[in-house]
Amino acid sequence: MIKTEHISKPELLAPAGSWEALMGAIQGGCNAVYFGIEQLNMRARSANNFVVDDLQKINDTCHEHGVKTYLTLNTIIYNHDIQLMKAILDAAKQTKTDAVIASDHAVMNYAKKIGMPVHISTQTNITNIDTIEFYAAYGDVMVMARELTLKQVGELVREIKRRNITGPSGELIKIEIFAHGALCMAVSGKCYLSLHTHFSSANRGACIQNCRRSYIVTDKEDGYELEIDNEYIMSAKDLCTIDFLDEIIRDTGVSVLKIEGRGRSEDYVNVTTKCYREAIDSVLDGTYSKEKIKDWYGRLETTFNRGFWEGYYLGRKMGEWNDIQGSKAKKKKVFIGTGMNYFDKLGVAEFKVESQKLALNDEIMISGPTTGVVFEKVTEMRVDDQQRTEVKRGETVSIPIATKIRRSDKLYKMANA
Amino acid sequence: MKVKIIHYRANCIGCFACVEMASGRWAMSKKDGKSVLLGAVNNKGVYNVDVEEDEYEEEKLVADLCPAKVIKIIK
Repeated sequence: MIKTEHISKPELLAPAGSWEALMGAIQGGCNAVYFGIEQLNMRARSANNFVVDDLQKINDTCHEHGVKTYLTLNTIIYNHDIQLMKAILDAAKQTKTDAVIASDHAVMNYAKKIGMPVHISTQTNITNIDTIEFYAAYGDVMVMARELTLKQVGELVREIKRRNITGPSGELIKIEIFAHGALCMAVSGKCYLSLHTHFSSANRGACIQNCRRSYIVTDKEDGYELEIDNEYIMSAKDLCTIDFLDEIIRDTGVSVLKIEGRGRSEDYVNVTTKCYREAIDSVLDGTYSKEKIKDWYGRLETTFNRGFWEGYYLGRKMGEWNDIQGSKAKKKKVFIGTGMNYFDKLGVAEFKVESQKLALNDEIMISGPTTGVVFEKVTEMRVDDQQRTEVKRGETVSIPIATKIRRSDKLYKMANA
Repeated sequence: MKVKIIHYRANCIGCFACVEMASGRWAMSKKDGKSVLLGAVNNKGVYNVDVEEDEYEEEKLVADLCPAKVIKIIK
């Protein structure tokens, strides 16, 4: 049964692991972005993290577009990190960052002292109402553990209202859940596997993702080796909620939907954000339909994914495991060249072709720190003002592109994977 | 024969692993939370120091286990 009293439009929160992804997220229509500064975040090793000096530009760029900024500072914190943690938070406060996503109590404590709004990270594994009550002294938004069912999430939202649990801002606690992206085999990321086998701590942002590999189980008594149904038994498929987003929005009353992926590329961020933007809007305006879901699903499949499942939200299965290593994306990016010029009046971009070939009607993607992500089709190509159907390495080609691109932007061909 | 340790410090994630394994050669900076290669000279953000060969085995392990792969040992 659909309950209508909870309908409110959730905020769409997108990952930004680079300037390209940040712009891609804004163009995709997110309401807020989250990003890491320096090394104290869960993607310290894999994402191209921003530095303290980038904070002003991140905030200026996002706020100009009406997008909120959440700083991710959610690793475990050692004594030697305290000074850096405080310096990052001071800078975040000064540059008007909207909130910090924290899991260590030291971070929450300092943020509260300086008046910086706190969101409680999924790394704290919140699964019940009393824990929400506990963290309400620090945070206004709380990210639930990814292993809850929608029923449980809905109950928590209703119980917050019933008990009138408010955060430091005086408003009711807002609940955030993950809508899309990678799932861990440990409860919401508190995993020891990477440290255990490779001395590379996931809880310090250095997860080497060894859960994503295949394993053989050996019977120690008689030495038999078992490869379990060719499945990557520790590698969960990616969460995708786009086909039951109406249930999430109507039944649970969550305030924020998060897309995972600060370690992922700008095209993933852009495509995923766009699909979820359209999906949220269509749930709210009553046009959410099977046809639309099919279209979004098709688009989401073009970019990095480990295959999709509905996570633990519907409570039906114990876990769905990946059957291949790496991505199941139906499209792959092939690097072609670099932007040289853009002629505003003509709407034509000039690129230097540095690798491979480009042909008429090829699907292309252009990305850059200011440009973000632009998808286009090659409708015309010119070299030295001569029309061409194919260009190769070493040539400089002009292509009509409706959106302004910049020097040193990267040009990719979207090929079938 | 001397052994050269090189520390590409900018990408250090401050995980403490090097200090745990070789505390005589590594320390944590409370200023920026990254590790410090003791006795090293700074060459445009890349730190290096020549040490005696008896440190080689330990430092090789440090380099191998650094999760950010920012430590190199040259013999």
